[in-house]
Amino acid sequence: MKKQLRISFILLLFSFILFSQENSNFSLGFESNSQYYVDDSKTGDFTLSEPFRANNYLKIDYTFGDFYSGLQVESYAPLALLNYSPKLKNTTIALYHIGYKSEKLDITAGYFYEQFGSGLILRFWEDRQLGVNNALRGGRLKYNPTNYIYLTALYGKQRVGFKVSNGEIFGFNSDIDLSSAFNLGNTALLFGFSYVGRKEKSTITLPAFNDLTNAFSTRLDYSKNNFYSSLEYVLKENDAVFIANKIRSVKSGNSFLLNLGYGKKGIGIDVTFRRMENMSFFSNRAATGNIYNESIINYLPALTKQHDYLLTNIYVYQAQPQIAFQDPTLVKFGEIGGQIDLFYKFKRKTTLGGKYGTKIAINTSYWSGLKGNFDFSNFDYSADFLAFGEKYFSETSLEVRKKWSTKWNSIFYYVNQSYNKRYVEETFGKVNSNIIVAEATYKLGGGKSLRIETQHLWTKNDKKNWIGGTLEINLNQKIAFYVNDIYNYENESISERIHYYNIGGSYTKGASRFALNYGRQRGGLLCVGGVCRYVPESTGISANIIMSF
Amino acid sequence: MKQLLLTITIFSFISVFSQKQLPNIMLKTLDGKSVKIQDKTSKNKITVLSFWATWCAPCINELDEISDVYEDWTEETNVDFIAISIDDSRTQKRINPLINGKGWEFNILIDKNQELKRALNISIIPHIIILKNNKILYRHTGYSPGFEEQLYEKIKQYSK
Repeated sequence: MKKQLRISFILLLFSFILFSQENSNFSLGFESNSQYYVDDSKTGDFTLSEPFRANNYLKIDYTFGDFYSGLQVESYAPLALLNYSPKLKNTTIALYHIGYKSEKLDITAGYFYEQFGSGLILRFWEDRQLGVNNALRGGRLKYNPTNYIYLTALYGKQRVGFKVSNGEIFGFNSDIDLSSAFNLGNTALLFGFSYVGRKEKSTITLPAFNDLTNAFSTRLDYSKNNFYSSLEYVLKENDAVFIANKIRSVKSGNSFLLNLGYGKKGIGIDVTFRRMENMSFFSNRAATGNIYNESIINYLPALTKQHDYLLTNIYVYQAQPQIAFQDPTLVKFGEIGGQIDLFYKFKRKTTLGGKYGTKIAINTSYWSGLKGNFDFSNFDYSADFLAFGEKYFSETSLEVRKKWSTKWNSIFYYVNQSYNKRYVEETFGKVNSNIIVAEATYKLGGGKSLRIETQHLWTKNDKKNWIGGTLEINLNQKIAFYVNDIYNYENESISERIHYYNIGGSYTKGASRFALNYGRQRGGLLCVGGVCRYVPESTGISANIIMSF
Repeated sequence: MKQLLLTITIFSFISVFSQKQLPNIMLKTLDGKSVKIQDKTSKNKITVLSFWATWCAPCINELDEISDVYEDWTEETNVDFIAISIDDSRTQKRINPLINGKGWEFNILIDKNQELKRALNISIIPHIIILKNNKILYRHTGYSPGFEEQLYEKIKQYSK
């Protein structure tokens, strides 16, 4: 039945392509990430089956007049890259959709992505790097009765591997632009309300909880002249709490997010505060805490700076929205904290600005657990509203970008981190580190350029000091080569003092890119946008192909 | 794999016959209002879309360089330049202070759940698209220092 559905869908798509030439648009995207894993005495031999592995994605979109359709073929053959969900195997049409869109109405059937507000209550998205694809399979209706009211209703089951969740999701969202409704001039005032219900049948009667879990979000955004602010509150009603794969208690959850900022030419400041208590929300309750990021309904990223450099990405904070009763000295039920950003430009022709101006960016963040009382034997707790518990993470960074001439550019970057490994990773220890990165780019003309980057990480904890560097050469606008290395030279275990080197090149033409790389992958967390995937240590040759037409 | 290659061939063949149109997708302005991308692109003149994010170093390098010569570009070619951020809610709040702190004067739009990025099959950023009357004339992925000069040549070429 399912197969027939897919085949008829493809036939339908083809017939649309053949019969509609006018007003039609066709778009195609292909991405292939493959790796041949090799034995390496330093990072460990490759002992699993299939040393050659590849993840391939072919996405086809077709629109004709007010109708649109699309599908995505995914192929994980012979097997998916290391540490992608084992549910991803073989080749299949993983996603498909068809829809109608007019000025006021947008109807979709099939798989679709969506986000309500900031995603704190609901976000369906794709991140191929992380193996995240939690698209909803079902139906969605978007309706804008006026140009200031936006309504969305949806229903479906969430994609999990190549199947869908047991749990059903019901959603409703409204965004109302009050400033346009009441002609408030240069003031922007927006109100948002969302509802998300997740219904999953359970045979468990003790503790008692409803199959349907309701969650609500209310939002208000205000901005005027150079000032802006936003406020969001999410409430998740009582739901079963999974701890170590078992339902242990029934608790409600909530989240509070406040953001304030000010920006005018030359300066920008932003302050964010967030408190989350028991905010994990999965379409399958039993998926709570799964390492493959499957069945996630809401998006709870770490609100810290996302770094660009290898050594700044060793001790990466991850948001702690979940309940954990590991042992009486390691109990978690949420997080509280915030961050401040400052961007500033020293003007041209001033002492600090020089000929081209100097741009600085400062970020500081602090996150800790919620303070409260707990009863370890009954997996119960009560959290204070505005009190800071055990510190999980803090960080301060300074970035200085300076253009010296039309040929020379440089970046200086300093980061100070305090990472509570015991609480964030639920292992042992605390890490205090300082990192300095210096980078320079030299343009040789005719598209040729050279980029050099050096980095050092100082810490007396964990694996001690690291050193690293990168050299990148662009021969022209199409061909580039790079080599980089990070080395944990002070590791107490001599056998773990490994050069994680990589060497590679790429060829780019228009929207297509081909890249080849050989080297060692450091084991640990690979994080994109605040969501992380664990990657094991490995050595190999990898190829990446990206094409869009 | 064979099937995959066959599919690509078939679809590439078909794609030759259809024109590349910018999909009309809803984006957000900096103050959170909803706008359709086609209402923001100009008619009968060149519009450049630059997909970027606050956490993407090559994107920032590229936009910093373009920002330095932006006045000349708009004076000489009357080009419209829209920097579309694909930051998700982790880093979205950093967009406003960043563009102000850097003194960028581009139009900024936010593709909050990467809908437009996905519709255009953009896998990696930075990604540049040159448009006229919402028809895609040119695309480029990635940034290497000095690319802005080549981009400007393209803009001048299409502006004629």
